[in-house]
Amino acid sequence: MPDLVERIITKENTIWFIAVILLLILPLFLGKYTVFLLSLLAVYALVSLGLNLLMGYTGQIAAGHAGFLAIGAYFTALISANVEWLPCLVTLFLAGIFSGAIGFLLGIPILRLKGFYIAMATLAFGVVVSEVILQWSSVTGGDDGFSVPTARIAGFAFDSDFKLFYLIFSVTIVLTILAKNLTKGYIGRAFIALRESEVAAQTIGIDLAKYKTIAFAISAFYTGVAGGLFAYLITFLSPDAFTIELSIDFIAMIVIGGMGSILGSIIGAVILTGMQQVLAGLLDLQILIFGISLIVFMIFMPKGISGMIYDLRDRYSRR
Amino acid sequence: MLLQVIFSGLATGSIYALVALGLALIYNTTEHVNFAQGEMSMISAFFGFTFFNFIGLSLPIAFLLTLLASAILGIIVERLVIRPAMKAPHFNVFIITLGLSIVLKSSAGFIWSHNDYPYPSIFPDETIAIGSATIDMIGLGNIGMTIVLMIILYVFFKYTKYGTAIRAVSESQNAAALMGINVKQSFSMTWAISFLVAAVAGILMAPVVFLSTHMGLVVINGFAGAILGGWGSIPGAIIGGMLLGVIDNVAPLYLPSQIKNVVPFAVIFFVLVIRPKGIMGVEKFIKV
Repeated sequence: MPDLVERIITKENTIWFIAVILLLILPLFLGKYTVFLLSLLAVYALVSLGLNLLMGYTGQIAAGHAGFLAIGAYFTALISANVEWLPCLVTLFLAGIFSGAIGFLLGIPILRLKGFYIAMATLAFGVVVSEVILQWSSVTGGDDGFSVPTARIAGFAFDSDFKLFYLIFSVTIVLTILAKNLTKGYIGRAFIALRESEVAAQTIGIDLAKYKTIAFAISAFYTGVAGGLFAYLITFLSPDAFTIELSIDFIAMIVIGGMGSILGSIIGAVILTGMQQVLAGLLDLQILIFGISLIVFMIFMPKGISGMIYDLRDRYSRR
Repeated sequence: MLLQVIFSGLATGSIYALVALGLALIYNTTEHVNFAQGEMSMISAFFGFTFFNFIGLSLPIAFLLTLLASAILGIIVERLVIRPAMKAPHFNVFIITLGLSIVLKSSAGFIWSHNDYPYPSIFPDETIAIGSATIDMIGLGNIGMTIVLMIILYVFFKYTKYGTAIRAVSESQNAAALMGINVKQSFSMTWAISFLVAAVAGILMAPVVFLSTHMGLVVINGFAGAILGGWGSIPGAIIGGMLLGVIDNVAPLYLPSQIKNVVPFAVIFFVLVIRPKGIMGVEKFIKV
C-alpha cells in the first residue's frame, strides 16, 4: 500500500494535486461569470486534449473539430430532451461514444489520404456537419436553435453555474488523467511513432490502419464529450456557433499551447478562453493576434509554450 | 436553359481555376500547401479598390498597380513567413499559411471593415443573345481573361530562363541547386507569380460576388477544383476548377437549392474517398 501511495504522490504529481484542489475550492470565492468562464475553459481543455491526441501526437491535421463538438452538443441536447430519466453522465458518455463512432467511420476513408488532404477532408466534414444540422430542422431546430434541458442525475439537477462547474471539472480531470496515461502507454507511443514516420512505424510492426482510426475515434470521443458539456453550459445551441473559424481557433489553441503535450493542451485552452474574454468586442484584433501567433510559434517555437517550459526545466535541472 | 447554366458555370469556374492554379504553382515548386490563396485574392481586390476609389486612378491603371503591389506583397510574404520555415516539415508550413490567411483577413477587416462594396468590372455590364441563351459580357470576359493568363504563364514557364529555372526547382531542389539555379530566388518568384494570379482572380471575382473580406473563402473552391482535377497538376487545376464551376451551377437545377453551399465540400470528400489522385493526377511514391 505505501508503495502505491508513493507512486501516486510523486514530486511531479504534487503540483497537479495542488492545482486540482485549488481549482475545486476556487469557485467558492468567485463570481458567477468567472465560474462560467472556468467551466468554458475546462470544456476547451477537453477539445484541446482530443485535438492534440490526433494532431500533436499522431500528426494528422484535423481542421473540422467544430463538427465533432457540434455532434456531441446536439446529441446530448436531443437525448436529454427525449430521455429525461437518463443520468447526465451516461448521456455524456453516449455522446462521446456516438461522436467517437463517427470519428472512427471518418477515419476509415481518410486512411487513404496523406498530409494536407486529411486537413481538407476534415475541413469538409466540419462544414457538412453544420450544414446537416442547419437543414435537418425537424430534429435539430435548424436556424432557430435548440434549448438544452438541465443536466440531471436521478433527482439532482445541475441548475446553476456553480453546480455545473463541478460536473464539468470532474469529467475534465478524469479524462485528462486518462489521456496522460494513454499517451504514456502502448497506444500513445504508437501514435508518436506514426507521427515521426509512417513507413518506419509500419516496419517495426505498428498497424497503421488500426492506430490511425483509433486516433480519430479517441479524438472524436473527447471532443464529443466536450460538446455535451458545452451544451449543458451554454444551454442554447445554434448551428452558426460551430464554424470553420472555431475549428481554426482550436488548431491555434494547441499550436500555441504546445503540440504533443497534455500540459500544452491545457495552456492552449487557458489562452483561448483568456483571449476571447479580454478581446471580446474586438474580434478582428483577436483573430489577428491568433494568426500572428500561429506564424511566430510555427517558425520559432514549433513545440509551443509547453515545449518552452520543458526546455527551460531541462536546462535548469541539468545544472 | 442548361446551356446557359453551363456557361455561367464556366464563368464561375474560370475564377476557381485561377485559385486552383495559384495553389498548384506554389505546391509544384515549393511542395507547400497555401491555405492563404483565397485571402490573397481578397486583399488584392481591396488594393484595386483603394487605388480607384480613394486615390481616384482610372480602372486600367489601378488594376495594373494592383498586380504590381500584389507581386511585391507576394515577395514580402515569402521572405517574412515562408522562407524561415523552408526546412521545416510541410505540416508546419501549412499551419503558417493558415495563420497567414487569418492575418490577411483580419487586417483587411481593420483597414476596410467587413462591409460589402460594389466593384466595377473592366468588362461592360451587357448581355448578348446567342440562340436561346443570353450571355453576359462580364462572364465572357472572365473566361477570356483566364485563358489569356494561362497562355502568358505557359509561355513564361516554357520559354523564359526564369520559368525554366522554376520548373527545374520543382523537379528537384537539390539537382537544380547543383546546376547553379538560385532556389531561393525561384521560391520568391513563385510566390510573386502566385500572388499575381490571385490578384487577377480577385479583380475578376469582386464584380460578381461584391467585394468583402469574406471573399477569401473561395480558397475552399480552389482546393476542391485542384483536388478534382488532380492535386499538383497544372492542367488538372484548370480543368478541375472549370468543372467545379459547372457542377456548382448545375447541381441546384436538379437537387434542392441549398446544395450549393456544400458542393465544394462534397466534391472534396467524394474525390478523396473514391479517387484521391483526381482526374489528371499521378500517384506519388514515397521515398524513405
